[in-house]
Amino acid sequence: MTTPLAIEGVPLGGSGREGGGRRDAAPLTLAVPAHEAVALLGDEESGLGQVEGPRANQGGVLSQAVPRHVVGAMAFLPDQGEQGLERPPAGRVTVFDTIIADLPERERLAFRRRVGYLPASDGLLQNLSLRNNVALPLRFGSEASPRDIEGRVNVMLVAARVTGAAGLRPAQASEEECRRAAFARALAFDPALLILEQPFDALTARTSAELLELARGGETAEGARRTILIIGQELPAGLLRRVERVYRVTRAGALEREAV
Amino acid sequence: MSDPFSRLGGSTARRLSRLGALARFGFGALRSLGTLPAAGRAVALRVTLNQIRFTATDAIGLVVLLSGILSFLVISQAVRELGQLGATDFIGTLIVVAIVRELGPLITALTVAGRSGTAIAAELATNRVLGEVRALEAMGIDPRQYLVLPRFFGSLVSVFVLLVVFDIVAVSAGFAAARFNGMVAGRYVEIVLQALALKDVWLTVAKAVTFGVIVGIVPAYYGLAVRGAPTEIPIATSRATVTSIVGIFLCSALFVVIG
Repeated sequence: MTTPLAIEGVPLGGSGREGGGRRDAAPLTLAVPAHEAVALLGDEESGLGQVEGPRANQGGVLSQAVPRHVVGAMAFLPDQGEQGLERPPAGRVTVFDTIIADLPERERLAFRRRVGYLPASDGLLQNLSLRNNVALPLRFGSEASPRDIEGRVNVMLVAARVTGAAGLRPAQASEEECRRAAFARALAFDPALLILEQPFDALTARTSAELLELARGGETAEGARRTILIIGQELPAGLLRRVERVYRVTRAGALEREAV
Repeated sequence: MSDPFSRLGGSTARRLSRLGALARFGFGALRSLGTLPAAGRAVALRVTLNQIRFTATDAIGLVVLLSGILSFLVISQAVRELGQLGATDFIGTLIVVAIVRELGPLITALTVAGRSGTAIAAELATNRVLGEVRALEAMGIDPRQYLVLPRFFGSLVSVFVLLVVFDIVAVSAGFAAARFNGMVAGRYVEIVLQALALKDVWLTVAKAVTFGVIVGIVPAYYGLAVRGAPTEIPIATSRATVTSIVGIFLCSALFVVIG
């Protein structure tokens, strides 16, 4: 059976650039089993890295290093990787037993659709409405007809309960509406693996639980649930029961599994 | 402390390195056209048309104003001064060489660089700072295809279209100025057509393409080069504008040499 995500010996300190976390942190080794939700938690001192970008001045802490290296294998702009995505400087990351970076570009593109990614800052394009943000990956990367794409977008907007705000641009919508739209967009291709970066910050417990259930794919038969890696500083208490595994990176850089 | 020659060498090396990075960025963007998925073409085309609307359509009024005033002033003065010397034939050369071939492309490109180049750099830098570029990559969308190529082709088309507008208005305003200062209409048309050569046409087209490339690529390069701090946005915008202007003037001088 393939492992959706395996991280082997990847340094948490990033590639040593500013903001990449601790330099003396132990390399991270972690496997995310299929159909499970795994939370990887740790504060700024743990070595998971610190927030960059617009939230940097808001005192937030973000585990940038892991998603960077995981999704970074798919980067288009490798020479501008400070803020963009990057390949791990050491160790290896496999997604469905495949090192994405080794794939030819066309196959890599197809592979991306199997991995959904929700960045901490939502990453919604400010000049598009929430609806068009959700539609963008489908319009750009799928061969479906415009009618099918619109249908899929409507389904995702309803599922994320953001239909009422679909015509608004991110700056006009509330933070919760933006997060809902970002979830809808990350799930647009119905990915087998979903990586969520600080997904529940500033959301109520009820909304967080609702969005986690949406991400997991609902209460369905065993094996149908989506594999999820949640990376962040903390997970709301109410959500601890809803994930299968919780790992915490200690300040010493060790990885400890917590009981859930 | 390093000696002046070392400093000069270091500074030159940095500039050459940046020029190389800019060229790599431009070629990389053009090469990404080959991998643009079929579905993505429609999206990229829509973004390109939007860019043309902002860059060309919305700038037509400004270009008409600049071109009209410049041409009217130059030709008015020329008709008066050259008329005293009995050398009004040179007005044709003046309008074709000075305005249509040299000042037209230069002023059009500077207008687009100042008006839209700054907007492109600021927009892409903001995309970068807000994590939108990273999100695009994670969605399987090459930022070069979605952000850079539409702006590149939009700028290229816009500079060309605005240059045509500039030249038409310049010749028309020159005609008005000539008539206003007592020149016979047929005479103006005759001397302008006499002065116009095929070389002027291809040089003007070559300049439009070259300046379009500069205005399309340089702001995109500086915009996407920011590393994440909002304070870098105005710096990137300023660098993009200055580099574009310097590039336009240097290429303009190069065209004079080879033309």
